[in-house]
Amino acid sequence: MDRDDHDREPQPQPHGDEREFSEERESLWRIAFAPTIWAFHFIISYAAVSVYCFKFGALFDMNTLRFALIAMTALMLAAIAWIGWRAFLRWDVRDTGEFTNPEGSAEDRHQFLGHAGFLLAIVSFIGVVYDTLPLILLGSCR
Amino acid sequence: MTDRQIPAGDLMAEGVYPPTEEMLNEPVPEEVQKRQKENLRKAWKTPDGWRYWTAVNNSEVGAWYTMTAFVFMLIAGVMALLMRLQLWVPENDLISADMFNQLFTMHGSAMMFLFAVPMFEAISILILPAFLGARDMPFPRLSAYGYWAFLIGGIFVIGSILFSAAPKAGWFMYPPLATIELGIGSDIWLLGLSFIEIASIAAAVELIVGALKCRPPGMRVNVMPLYAWYVLVVGGMILFAFPPLIAGDFLFELERSFDWPFFDHTRGGDPMLWQHLFWIFGHPEVYIIFLPSIAIAAMIVPTVARRPILGYSWIVLSAVGTGFLSFGLWVHHMYTTGLPNISLGFFSAASEAVVIPTGIQLFAFVATLIAGRVKMTLPMLWIAGALAIFTAGGLTGVMVAVAPFDWQVHDTYFIVAHLHYTLFGGMVFPVIAGVYYFFPFFRKKMLSERLGRWAFWLIFTGFNVTFLPMHLTGLLGMPRRVYTYPGGLGIDWLNQISTVGAFVIAAGFAIFAWDIVRPKKDQPQIARNPWGGGTLEWSHEIPETKWGVRSIPHITTRYPLWDQPKLVERMDAGRYYLPDAEEGYRETIVTSVIDARPIQVQRVTGPAYITIMAAAFTGGAFIFPTFHLYTPAIICAAFAVVSIIYWLWTTTARPPEKDMKDVGLGLSLPTYAAGPQAVGWWAVWITMLGDATAFASLVFGVFFYWTSNTAFPPPGAEHASGLFVALATAAFALSWALTRGARSLNRAGRVGLARAALAAAPLLTLSGMGGFILSVLDLDPTSHVYPAMMWALMVWVVAHGIAGTIMQLYCLAGSLFGKLTPRYDADLWNVTLFWHFLGLTALVTGAMIGLVPRMM
Repeated sequence: MDRDDHDREPQPQPHGDEREFSEERESLWRIAFAPTIWAFHFIISYAAVSVYCFKFGALFDMNTLRFALIAMTALMLAAIAWIGWRAFLRWDVRDTGEFTNPEGSAEDRHQFLGHAGFLLAIVSFIGVVYDTLPLILLGSCR
Repeated sequence: MTDRQIPAGDLMAEGVYPPTEEMLNEPVPEEVQKRQKENLRKAWKTPDGWRYWTAVNNSEVGAWYTMTAFVFMLIAGVMALLMRLQLWVPENDLISADMFNQLFTMHGSAMMFLFAVPMFEAISILILPAFLGARDMPFPRLSAYGYWAFLIGGIFVIGSILFSAAPKAGWFMYPPLATIELGIGSDIWLLGLSFIEIASIAAAVELIVGALKCRPPGMRVNVMPLYAWYVLVVGGMILFAFPPLIAGDFLFELERSFDWPFFDHTRGGDPMLWQHLFWIFGHPEVYIIFLPSIAIAAMIVPTVARRPILGYSWIVLSAVGTGFLSFGLWVHHMYTTGLPNISLGFFSAASEAVVIPTGIQLFAFVATLIAGRVKMTLPMLWIAGALAIFTAGGLTGVMVAVAPFDWQVHDTYFIVAHLHYTLFGGMVFPVIAGVYYFFPFFRKKMLSERLGRWAFWLIFTGFNVTFLPMHLTGLLGMPRRVYTYPGGLGIDWLNQISTVGAFVIAAGFAIFAWDIVRPKKDQPQIARNPWGGGTLEWSHEIPETKWGVRSIPHITTRYPLWDQPKLVERMDAGRYYLPDAEEGYRETIVTSVIDARPIQVQRVTGPAYITIMAAAFTGGAFIFPTFHLYTPAIICAAFAVVSIIYWLWTTTARPPEKDMKDVGLGLSLPTYAAGPQAVGWWAVWITMLGDATAFASLVFGVFFYWTSNTAFPPPGAEHASGLFVALATAAFALSWALTRGARSLNRAGRVGLARAALAAAPLLTLSGMGGFILSVLDLDPTSHVYPAMMWALMVWVVAHGIAGTIMQLYCLAGSLFGKLTPRYDADLWNVTLFWHFLGLTALVTGAMIGLVPRMM
């Protein structure tokens, strides 16, 4: 209960810690960033390969497309890693030592969203790696 | 105290929040409590007699919804028994091939569309408000409308089998089989289920807004019940999964009714587009069914383990992660369609990746059980059965996700075994667990422990006896969906075992159904919290009260009944928020999305006939076209629109009699909201997101034909008139700008100008619609898929233009009759939001009809 007093609303401007964790600075969307990158990676890879195989197979070599997509993968993995790192910092487990954040306080909510975002970044990272394997292992449309 | 100049939608909460301990300790005088209860009872009274059916309260609608879905399931189960009887011996002639086709088509369609998805909506409508300490869902009449639509559509679809007119092309309705099929079966499937899909989207809108905006004060996102997280994820999935199917149905029905050749390869069409659209829906659908059921497990497991769930964040991760990844799996139903192997590879990889989040949540449950002191109650028995069966189904899932393995077992009984293991383990068992667990909550009675154990062991044993041998039947080569088989292939005895098992399952369900309906009048009053749960639904009152919660609590923990002492006592005394209904209205509190700060008192609607009428007319609009009766269909559609307008006009976003309301504990909240603060605005936003997805599916269709077809558009094809397309697009853009402008003008108090804009805008919309019609008028949609696709885009934008015109006129009328004023402008905000989407749709349509084909 007492932690909750931090962000009493609707009161005059809070300051310091309270302000840092205020609701306005948070977004539920943020935890979805990494999976969204996975979705884009998936759609772009699938669409590019389909269009290539059905439309442009004769125009240029598949390896060009594969390398382009693998390069895109590297960039996207870097972006997911960065998102994951930022989320890890928000979780702040090294300073607080709290692995779970079950309390109804602004700080716990903030760290929880960091934790969820961090875990989602890991799953998205693995998903992107999985989805790149066909590009590495298979070299033709057949 | 309120500045009269501020728009009512911009008013803020005033006073103290959060409440202090001293405020909560202050007792509420007895006579005050008595008066408050009297007011609440009056406001929330369920209508008597035959008026009972006009009720819209979530406890009534949820109960009807659940029971209807359950009855549909039993009927679909009987169809399965008939099929098993037919397969009892080789060369059986009990059922004709044609009837067998109808049976398996209806069994699959009914289980998916009339049981599994509606069951999620039904259970959520029934219990989500209680998890959130809310009085009701934000839009009770929308729930009721959805229910009546579901009932009408469901009876229509499932009843068709009695006339031997049921669809028979399989639950996925693959063209060309389904498009060329004679009879009305395919139309019943397409129109009946489209109607139900729309009801599903309505429920999804309701549930998402409920989980985001109707949580009790203080229930931040990190303390909300896991069930609410799942509802959010599943609601979001419905918005992206159902619309592609609606778009597919739209094209399909245009082909069936008007011979526009979307799936006819002789005229440039491609049956594969249907498969893509169907499975973009169909695979996420599996998770749409699975996640909410496993959410029930997430509520039961902590109670039986008598400790908080382990890995709350991990479960959130797995729900959100599964929600995303499940959209990357659809082609694994299409491994044998000849797509490039490398494309199959992507889907195979994603199908293996989704196992990770799915597995994590099961491990979190198991870990919680290990760490807790488990009490093996009846609900837990069903959850344990669910985990065992689902894991087996998951393992075969990992196998069939590998394309070469799938090529061997595709369309055999191995797949039938796999999908029933996932659906029984992932849906049926957890839902039954939920029925046992929540029955004391929603009926205030207990189900029988003894009957429950009998039902469990019969269904669990029967299930394995039926479906375990099917793996082998399939590996031995027996195909699915074939009404009989020759003897001597080594599958006779396997089929006989499966048939015996099916009847054992049926016996279990008979006991379960009897337990639910048997009279329980003699049962003594049950304990208030019979399982010792820690979440808010167990603060329910016994004997039953209809007001939901006596007062809406301030929540600061995940398990408030365990961790917030005196909570229930204070709720009962009316110490918390909204303990009264002075004005005699039904109300609940709307809070902010992340931290659940109280921001508004929302009036919710009460009993009404209008929702039943609206659903009946909407039903007519969908059902008459099945028989090619278009005039009555159009009349019904018009009446449906009139009913809905009446319903909205009389009860939504009306200027309140006072701007602020004291909700108790020193807090005053606005009674009116507009724009992003308002639940109605969120509902429009969410609905339009789904609508945009359906439109995107049509646009995807254009590009799909371009990639799959060597000649799209065909060489020398006539294009739409560029001039008309340009004019139409410009007219829509201008109408959009006028609508947006009207909102600002109205806020600024320049009501005359706003009205002028709102009067001019519909004229522009109409001319825009005319322009789009004229642009494609010279093309013959039956000649080739290219003109057909252009026509389809035109029909889509014109249909939306009609809705857009009605909304503009609605706001104009609102302004003229004092419903919409500079201070109370919620309707105009919502309509502007709709127009943002419509404006973009028109721009994209203009590009797709006028520009893109010329460049392809």
